[in-house]
Amino acid sequence: MAINKKASAGPVKDSASECVAQPASADPSKAVLKTSRRDFLRAGGMLSMSSLMGAGALMAQSDDTKATVEWAEHFQKNYRLMTQKEKNEARLRLEKRYSAEYGKQVSVDTADAQPGVLMGYALNIRKCIGCRRCVHACVEENNQSRGKQRAGEKIEWIQVLRMERGEFSADKMNHGYPDGLGIQVGGNAYTPAGQILEGQYHYEPEAVPEKDATYMPIACMQCEKPPCVKVCPVRTTYREADGPVVIDYNWCIGCRMCMGACPYWARRLNVTNPVLPKEEMNPVTHYLGNRPRMRGVVEKCHWCLQRTRQGRYPACVEVCPVGARKFGNLLDPESEVSLILARKNVFRLKAELNTFPKFFYFYD
Amino acid sequence: MNNFVFHTMILAFCCEMASTAVAADAAPEPAKDTAKEPVVCFESRKGASEITQRDIKPGLPNVKCSPTTGAALWYGDPFEGTVPMGKMPLLDKIPPGHALVKPRSDKLALLPLCSTACHNGVGPSFSPPTLPKDKKPTPIPTMEGLLPDAKDLQHGRGRIWCLDCHHTTKRNMLVDNFGDPVSIDQPQILCGKCHGDKMRDWRDGIHGKRIGEWASNGKKRWFTCTECHNPHNVQDGHRNRGFVQLQPEPPPQLPKGMKDAKFEKTHPIPH
Ligand code: HEC
Ligand code: HEC
Ligand code: HEC
Repeated sequence: MAINKKASAGPVKDSASECVAQPASADPSKAVLKTSRRDFLRAGGMLSMSSLMGAGALMAQSDDTKATVEWAEHFQKNYRLMTQKEKNEARLRLEKRYSAEYGKQVSVDTADAQPGVLMGYALNIRKCIGCRRCVHACVEENNQSRGKQRAGEKIEWIQVLRMERGEFSADKMNHGYPDGLGIQVGGNAYTPAGQILEGQYHYEPEAVPEKDATYMPIACMQCEKPPCVKVCPVRTTYREADGPVVIDYNWCIGCRMCMGACPYWARRLNVTNPVLPKEEMNPVTHYLGNRPRMRGVVEKCHWCLQRTRQGRYPACVEVCPVGARKFGNLLDPESEVSLILARKNVFRLKAELNTFPKFFYFYD
Repeated sequence: MNNFVFHTMILAFCCEMASTAVAADAAPEPAKDTAKEPVVCFESRKGASEITQRDIKPGLPNVKCSPTTGAALWYGDPFEGTVPMGKMPLLDKIPPGHALVKPRSDKLALLPLCSTACHNGVGPSFSPPTLPKDKKPTPIPTMEGLLPDAKDLQHGRGRIWCLDCHHTTKRNMLVDNFGDPVSIDQPQILCGKCHGDKMRDWRDGIHGKRIGEWASNGKKRWFTCTECHNPHNVQDGHRNRGFVQLQPEPPPQLPKGMKDAKFEKTHPIPH
């Protein structure tokens, strides 16, 4: 159900969004499609149901929410195509609605990428103790759904993988499959030592780190060549100029193509109406970041855009008790991530897929 | 004066301080549920530093604490309780007021008394006052009562002793390689004299932790070495790891239809 550019026969009304080029530039303000959503709808026969799936998901919410969601919101342009004026309007509209909904003053930031900044992240995998504080800091910061009743109501963006240290034993040396002469699979084959990507997420010991385990947190890698961006049929997920891959939630149709394309299991779909108690809601939000999401849209880590665009470290970096998480500007040779890349042994997860993550693992 | 009398005297001197120290240790227990009691959470190492929750503005707290473990889970105000780090060699490029630390001295109950009640600079305040002649390990039963870690000092595995770190005559201060006193709020200068590699990484923000503004010249709170490491037992005894164990936060929600997490442990692999 990709947007067919040729279908946009209608005249482009908004001169500010007029641009002949395909979005080749990483700078979203320069990368503007010729088609506006209104034109597309008009050309596509106005109320073709499939193109309204996103709005449909929105409208399936509970009654009072539905009433407060203004019609204008359904028909606003993709964030990338909005003029500054339209962004301001959208921002005010959302601030008003969220403030009423959550009973406190909510701000919706629309700060753009700063020139000269390319965000990068490094995680010291030797220091991680698997305490999951980052996971929960992320939830506190980013307004994820935190229900407990139904499956899928609790959303976490960071997963911490526990890996067994594994044991090799002398007893198994001369055994295996097939037993006897000509063993093809050695008896020590199934020891999990150092095994990546087949571990446990639900470990619950009294204290971490456990003696026989190592831990590996995984979240969105903010790839330079993100497969999720390539597959998004509505182009609502894209790479911002300062690095993070973001989502304009209003345009997400919940098709889950991106979830299938992501090799890092980083994306989550709101299968239920998000459960976000008023008192737990973080009122400092960004349009492309942690503003409350609706049912039927995909979300994921965006390096706390609402913080990092204002100069603050991401929430996970700040709570890590062992200081394993590092964040900074890859273009600044003095930043901690640049120094790590210069000095430490680093690797990218699944580098063979050529996704070029800006999230690095390192050890010292 | 025989040994016994000597020790009893010191103990009598110090028992009041000891009880304050114990009280301070008990404080960081997670205070939750009860609406009235202030919510206090610990930061990196349990018992090393805490924050009390309050509202910066309505609906926006300075810190959020974990109801499960009592750990700090989210910082609204990263600079609460901090003071300027003070002069640090090779960190002079940082704009003034941009390097902050939480002072350690506030946390140390024994510290204000060390150099007044017992050690006055010429030796214990008894006659005749004597200072140790060398830095070699000697049994100090009095200190063991106040500081259990002193009994079998783990740090250095028998190769270092009190006065490698504590100043001989100014006992409420640490000591650098030249024998000059170092503030207890700047343990990095002390630790750096033996752990140069870690010191370098810490200075560059690679070892340890900094919170606040991420820009390399931004305003940051730096965690000092002793906020994460217990200087008297850095390797956590027989565990032999540089960081103490913590209770983990709760696991994620189980996948649909699963009653427990046993499925994670069964990975049948065909030959
Ligand atoms: C590796 C260096 C090092 C060694 C060796 C060392 N200390 Fe300490 N000591 C420190 C530091 C650093 C602090 C401050 C602790 C903090 O900030 O939490 C400290 C704090 C103390 C305190 C104050 C504790 C409090 O809670 O108020 C006492 C008492 C003390 N040390 C006694 C000793 C004794 C006795 C020995 C020898 C058995 C010793 N130290 C060996 C570094 C050391
Ligand atoms: C006088 C020298 C000296 C000073 C000062 C010193 N250390 Fe050490 N440290 C050592 C030695 C020696 C070892 C032990 C190395 C070994 O044999 O395993 C050690 C080990 C350690 C370890 C590693 C434990 C392990 O087995 O992994 C840590 C962590 C550590 N020190 C932290 C600190 C901190 C924090 C400070 C400052 C409060 C400090 N050290 C000050 C000498 C020193
Ligand atoms: C945010 C917490 C934190 C701070 C602050 C911190 N460390 Fe560490 N340090 C760690 C952790 C975690 C480890 C790894 C422990 C392990 O491997 O079990 C470690 C390990 C070490 C080791 C052992 C060598 C190694 O790599 O395992 C030394 C020595 C050390 N630290 C010294 C220092 C010194 C000196 C400072 C201050 C300049 C400092 N640390 C500050 C958390 C911290």
